[in-house]
Order: sequence, then C-alpha cells, then structure tokens
Amino acid sequence: MRDVIKAYNEAVFETDKEAAFRAVNEALAEGLSAEEIVFKVVIPAVEEMMTRIGQDPDANLAQHFMTAQIASEVTEKMLEKFEHPPEIIGRVVIGTAYGDLHSLGKRIVMGCLKAMMVDVVDLGVNVPAERFVDEARTRDAQVIAISAMMVHTANGPHGSLKVRQLLNEQALEERIRIAVGGAPYRFDGELYRAVGADAYATDGVTAGKVIIDLIHGVRPS
Amino acid sequence: MTALNILAAAVNGTKARRIPVFCNMLDHGAGELGMSQHEYYSKGEHVAEGQLRLRARYGYDNVWSLFYVGREAELLGCREILFAEEGPPNVADFVIKDYDDIARLEIPDDITAHPAWTETGKCLDILQREVGATHPICAYITASTTLPAILMGMEQWLDLLLNGPIDVRDELLRKCSDFCQREIAAYRAAGANVLVYSTPFGSTSFVGMKRFRELILPWMKRDLAQNGPANIVYYCGMAPFNDVIEQVLAELGISTYYISPIADLAEAKALIGTRALTCGVIDDIKMIRYTPKETREEVRRICEIGKPGGHFLFGTGVMPVSVPEANIRAMIDAAFEYGMTP
Repeated sequence: MRDVIKAYNEAVFETDKEAAFRAVNEALAEGLSAEEIVFKVVIPAVEEMMTRIGQDPDANLAQHFMTAQIASEVTEKMLEKFEHPPEIIGRVVIGTAYGDLHSLGKRIVMGCLKAMMVDVVDLGVNVPAERFVDEARTRDAQVIAISAMMVHTANGPHGSLKVRQLLNEQALEERIRIAVGGAPYRFDGELYRAVGADAYATDGVTAGKVIIDLIHGVRPS
Repeated sequence: MTALNILAAAVNGTKARRIPVFCNMLDHGAGELGMSQHEYYSKGEHVAEGQLRLRARYGYDNVWSLFYVGREAELLGCREILFAEEGPPNVADFVIKDYDDIARLEIPDDITAHPAWTETGKCLDILQREVGATHPICAYITASTTLPAILMGMEQWLDLLLNGPIDVRDELLRKCSDFCQREIAAYRAAGANVLVYSTPFGSTSFVGMKRFRELILPWMKRDLAQNGPANIVYYCGMAPFNDVIEQVLAELGISTYYISPIADLAEAKALIGTRALTCGVIDDIKMIRYTPKETREEVRRICEIGKPGGHFLFGTGVMPVSVPEANIRAMIDAAFEYGMTP
C-alpha cells in the first residue's frame, strides 16, 4: 500500500496523469479494492496536495488542474467498482458569477470535491444569483460556491452580494453558506467579507477544504 | 521634460525630475464619455477620446490603444463579446471549439487589413497625432502560449497543453506565435511604443520551472525573434515571476519588467538592478477599500523600495472601475511626490 500511495502522489505532483492511472491499475491488479484506492490513496493524495499547495509558494496552476482532474477521473472509475454506494458528506451548488464566463477555477474545485465525496451540482457559467439560491434551496445544498475571475463579477451587485441578500430575505442563512474564489480574492484577502461570503480560497484545490469545512459547520436542517 | 523623456531617462538610467507614472484605465473611458461599454468600444474615436480625457484628468504619463483583451480573438474570428457596464468585456464565442478548428485557424498575413483592426487603427492614429510626440502609447500583445486561452477557453487550453497531442498543441502555438509576431510589427508601425507582452504562462505560478524552460521560453523566443525585444514589457497578468527574471533577461533580452503586486519588489529590483527597468505595481484591487491615506502609504512604500538606483517606474494593474476616484487621485499625487528624484 505504501508503494502505491508513493507512486500515485508523485504522479499527481508531477502532473503525470498516465503515471497516476498506472499506479491505480497496478494496485487493482495486486488485489486492492476500489474502496481502498479511493479512501486510502486518492482522498489522502488530494489532502496532501491541499497541504503542499498551501505551503509551497512554487505550486502552480498546472498542478492544481491536474490534481483535480486525476482525482475526479480515478474516483469516477473506482465508484463503478464500489460494492455499496459511498456516503456523501454534503452537497454544493457551484457556478461562475453572473457576467463571468471563466470556468477553469470551478472545474478544479469540482474535481476535488467529487473525489472527497461531496455531491456537486454544476450550474455552469454566468449564473444569476436567484438561480444559485433556488437550486441550493430545492436541492438541499449546504454551500453555494461562486467563482469570479474579474473584479466586477466578484464585487458587483449581481454576484455574491445578491446571493447574500436573497439568503437573508428567504431566512436561509443558517442553512446555506457562501464560498467564493477566483483571482480578485487572491489579491485582497478581505474582499470576501465585503461581498458577504462566509469563506474564500486562494486556489481551486484549497477551495475543496474550505467548502468541506463550511459543510461541516452548517446545522442539519 | 515630456512623459516620453521621463520614460526614456528611467530606461537608460539618466537624470529626470521624477520616475514615470503609468496608470492603466481602460473601462473608465465609457463613463468619461457618458456611453455604454458597447457603444464606447464600437469606435476607435471613442477609445482615443476616452484615453486622452482620462490622462488629462489625472495627469499620469501613458495612454492605451487596447480596447479589451478579446479584441485579439476578434482578429482571429471571434464573433461574440459579452459586454458589462462595470468591468471588462468577456469573449463569449470561442474560435476553437474542437481540435479540427486548430487546423482551420488562419492567421491573416496583414492583420491591419482585417476589419477588426480598423477601429484600433483609428484609435492609434488619433493618439499618435495628439500625444505621440510627448507620451508613451501602450499596446497589448498576448504571448503565443497564452493566446489559446482566449481562443478556446482556459480549461480546454490547459487540457491540450498538459494532456493533448503534441503535434496539435504545437500547430496551435506556431499559429499563435505567427500572430504575435505580426501584431508586434503592426502596433509598432502604427505608433505604439510600449508593447505590453502579456505572458501569464511565463510565470511559474502557471506551470512548473521545467515546463517553463522546455516549452514556454522557446515559444516566447520565437514570438520576439523577428521584431526584437525593444520596448517590450514582460507582464504575467499580475502573477509573480521573480524566479524567471534572470532567464528572461539572458534569453529574451527584454528591458522592462512589470512586477506582480504580490511578488517581493525588493527582490525583483535587486535581481534586475540597472540592467533593465523595474516597474513597481500597486495592488489596485485593494485600492477599492483603501482610504486615500492608505493609498498614499502604499505608493510611498513602493517608491521607497524601487526608486534607489533609478531604472524604476510606478504603475497600476488594470484599474478596476470600482476604485474610488479619491484613491486614484491620491495614488497619482503620491507617485509624483514620492517619485521625485534628488
């Protein structure tokens, strides 16, 4: 098991998808179950990358992208082999802010969350605030995750600010949290408060951890 | 001394009364002219007028010929731009939807003959006529390794770059590099004299050092080989790049570096020294919530780090529309004050 974890982690860090799948296939051939691969290899590797990316100033976008892509693809393949469906730890609705068509950050976050057994509802790009709230309410999601790559979609009146207003008007603030992410939040660590969000992440991989923490913090409805 | 003289003095390390002060205001032009973004960007005359009025209002040194970044995608066939009132327009129609579109992508031999250039050309004519003898005219040129992001989307480009067929990737890069070369030549011929070379993949925030050396650097060399690095500004879209400065200086010979506001400016200045121009850049996203006093303090901090030894310019990112006017004025006043040379 230790060799599998080492080979898989190195492959993820080096953004080598082929090597990651090779490590997984060799592990399956040696008798590891799909459940063991997900819970003892893939999820710890995502957690390891969250820590490394948080501490390593040289961590780069290619690593974030491939960490999420490899984790979600391996998990998807392993889930087909699970004997029983896994327990989902929570649900998130995710999309880019209204007026914003940049979908990369959302994709990275989704990949990590799926691998961490979070049910993700993808609302796509250019999502109106009303839709974020309606979908979160009807699907009983604990978190609304809003990605914004431009300043005006991060702090403008149609993004997180409007979502906060709607949650407040509909008395949903105890049930649903708001997470935001994207370039503007990296340049100003206080911006998330100004837009009414509960938390933000500086990159897509650590966003997975931030969102899971928010899920755990929401009172069961 | 004109603003052009002040810039030349900073580049050459000769004496001037102050450092150059660049302020990059693009979307503010529409408000200045009382127009919607869509109307404003439809005419080169509007953009030139907006730039001239903004420069006259605040007194900084430069003007821009850039409309919005998606303009380059329009030169390559993009047919839909999503305009906003509060910020920059987005590319809403990707020219490359699948790998077959890469084979079909045609780079115009003369981009100035393309209809999408017409308004840019008009804007440059006006700027050249009005302030060409006195003020730097900036143009924006996207590097070959970054241009695919606005042609096919960042997700799809990263997929191709990291996982896709190498021959397809390189065909796209070659076409984008051809475009970059032709764009540099066209902007220079039209009078632009500060060419901001936007190369986010030239930062190790985007790719690791190995990929930077083996893939990105050779393509950047090709982008600049035909026309040379004169007046080129190395700019990574606000991403830090201190760890590649030495290689870029040695391999590309670029003489101006637009340092990220989240990078260590003192380290960058020490690395560059007097070999090139270091640009200290304020975090203008924080300026949205700063007070004028906080803005002044930040300008003072940047100037105190960068000014000793000369070869220094003060600049902004792409100033968000939501930055209060009082902060813009405080920033410019402070940059003139703290940027005075003995």
